[in-house]
Amino acid sequence: MTANEWLAKLHEAASCPKKHMERYLSQGKKVVAVAPVYTPMELIHSMGLVPMGVWGADVEIKEAKKYYPAFICSIMQTILEMGIKGEYDGVSAIVIPSLCDSLKTLGQNWKYAVKEIPFIPMSYPQNRKPDYGIKFTKAGYQRVISDLTIAAGAQFSEAALAESIKVYNEHNQVMREFAEIASTARLTAAERNDVFKSAWFMLPEEHTAVVKELNAALKEGPEDEGKARVLVTGILADSPSLLKILDDNGIKVVFDDVAHESRQYRIDVPDMANPMDALAQKFADMDNCTLLYDKEKKRVDYIIEQAKAHSADGVIVLMTKFCDPEEFDYVPIKRACEAAGLKHLNIEVDRQMVNYQQAGTMIQAFKEMF
Amino acid sequence: MYTLGMDIGSTTSKAVILRDGREIVASSMVIATVGTLGVFQVMDHVLEESGLKKEDMACIVATGYGRQTYGEADYQVSELTCHGLGVRHVCPQARTVIDIGGQDAKVLSLGEEGRMVNFVMNDKCAAGTGRFLDVMANILKLDISQLEVEAARSEKPANISSTCTVFAESEVISQLAAGTAIPDLVAGICQSVAVRTAALAKRAGIKEKVFMSGGVAKNGGVRSALEKELGTEIGWHPLGQLMGALGGCIYGWEKSR
Repeated sequence: MTANEWLAKLHEAASCPKKHMERYLSQGKKVVAVAPVYTPMELIHSMGLVPMGVWGADVEIKEAKKYYPAFICSIMQTILEMGIKGEYDGVSAIVIPSLCDSLKTLGQNWKYAVKEIPFIPMSYPQNRKPDYGIKFTKAGYQRVISDLTIAAGAQFSEAALAESIKVYNEHNQVMREFAEIASTARLTAAERNDVFKSAWFMLPEEHTAVVKELNAALKEGPEDEGKARVLVTGILADSPSLLKILDDNGIKVVFDDVAHESRQYRIDVPDMANPMDALAQKFADMDNCTLLYDKEKKRVDYIIEQAKAHSADGVIVLMTKFCDPEEFDYVPIKRACEAAGLKHLNIEVDRQMVNYQQAGTMIQAFKEMF
Repeated sequence: MYTLGMDIGSTTSKAVILRDGREIVASSMVIATVGTLGVFQVMDHVLEESGLKKEDMACIVATGYGRQTYGEADYQVSELTCHGLGVRHVCPQARTVIDIGGQDAKVLSLGEEGRMVNFVMNDKCAAGTGRFLDVMANILKLDISQLEVEAARSEKPANISSTCTVFAESEVISQLAAGTAIPDLVAGICQSVAVRTAALAKRAGIKEKVFMSGGVAKNGGVRSALEKELGTEIGWHPLGQLMGALGGCIYGWEKSR
């Protein structure tokens, strides 16, 4: 198969998650929804369940407005909206982490708004690196295991977790390889996003197999030339309209620091004697993310380093509306870009955007500065 | 060599013809936007004024809100780039450009050669734009051109919300009911636009010389309120509303020469 054929397969998965969920259900598997940003997918997978990402969708918010004010993250609001409207019917449970204040309210509201799908909290510590933080993370995982046992009738074993960790570590490695190949290969911003988005809706072993083939095909294919090279950062960058504007303006995404994309694959579970300890250690090892407490804001340096490493000419910040953590990080990112001589652009985005006129003008003007 | 710039804005369509990248041969402005006959009328007017034909143009550049839908353009360029080029043409010393149009506000930072190096745009909101002034002038039954004169007569500017056009409308009606003088209300309205625009300008960073373009540049009330907010003199040009179209001509000339 050609790169385009593999990409078409991933586009289909990214566009039709429900079809994939129904396929897994028809195979007798049970599906567990996982909310942003980090959930212990290795653990869910090890219990014989299929973790599928729920990051909301570009839909009109009606029902969720009963539970939320207008000034709150639309990713989270649309997750609740789709839950209320039955879009996730068939899943055995939803795991919602506590990584930001808004996500905490999603879990609480879910209990009342979508009673038929059990809510499983994943409580992470703010201080994740000290021993007490790692113990706290592990206790959170134990709660997830316990709740999944009740909600899905699934059983946990350390041996199975060790196997699932291997599967996810391989997937991480393949996705990191894709991100590097995509920095030079001829690929649109929309196609690049399809590869990351589809990962949320396929079992990791299936996705790994496809992306391996894609990577091989892309390595043999032509490189992108003559485009403005940018690093994109933010929580989510999956709007087809926005990605089309990037493509129409000859802008190539050479790397990302997007929570929905590369941030998921940076860190592997380390090789340790006890797989639960290893999984908790993985969370402790994670860095460079808005939602992971870091008083030194190392993420800012990371963005600049990656922009330089991938020969980016500029940085586009896709600022999720009402996302306080991302907004706090913007000022140091802006200053660091200026100090590094990188052009930068901040575009506010949310799941409710219907008019992309202003974003189009900003992106075109940004490109014209190169 | 003649080049033509068409700036199809959210409330007005503007056209300029430039000779050899320097001399303005003709210009036209029609209060009509994308999707109306005004776009064609402005083209007819500018050609008629110049005595030239469309075929005489080495390059036609469309910019503004309706640039993507104007099929006769050789290039479709963002209004930010065009305003930067237009201002550089009339004021080469300008390093910060404040463009308040009918629907949005933008602040451009120009580099040493007058090229745009950074910009910020307002939120998706009418506050602090030409639309805000239109709404307020309509409530006060004034022509938009009268705002400058009325603001100059103010002794004690009224305090008007700078956050929302709809709320500001209610505020103005309440103040009218309370007997606030029209000049004080107009000065407060200009001040409101200035406060919001100054905040945007400070985000981009102020570097002198500051220049104002767009339709609102003609309003001395807003200009002087903005000068006070920013603590610096603001340059402008009587053809400020044509800077986008003029920049389009220059872009076309640079591409064609």
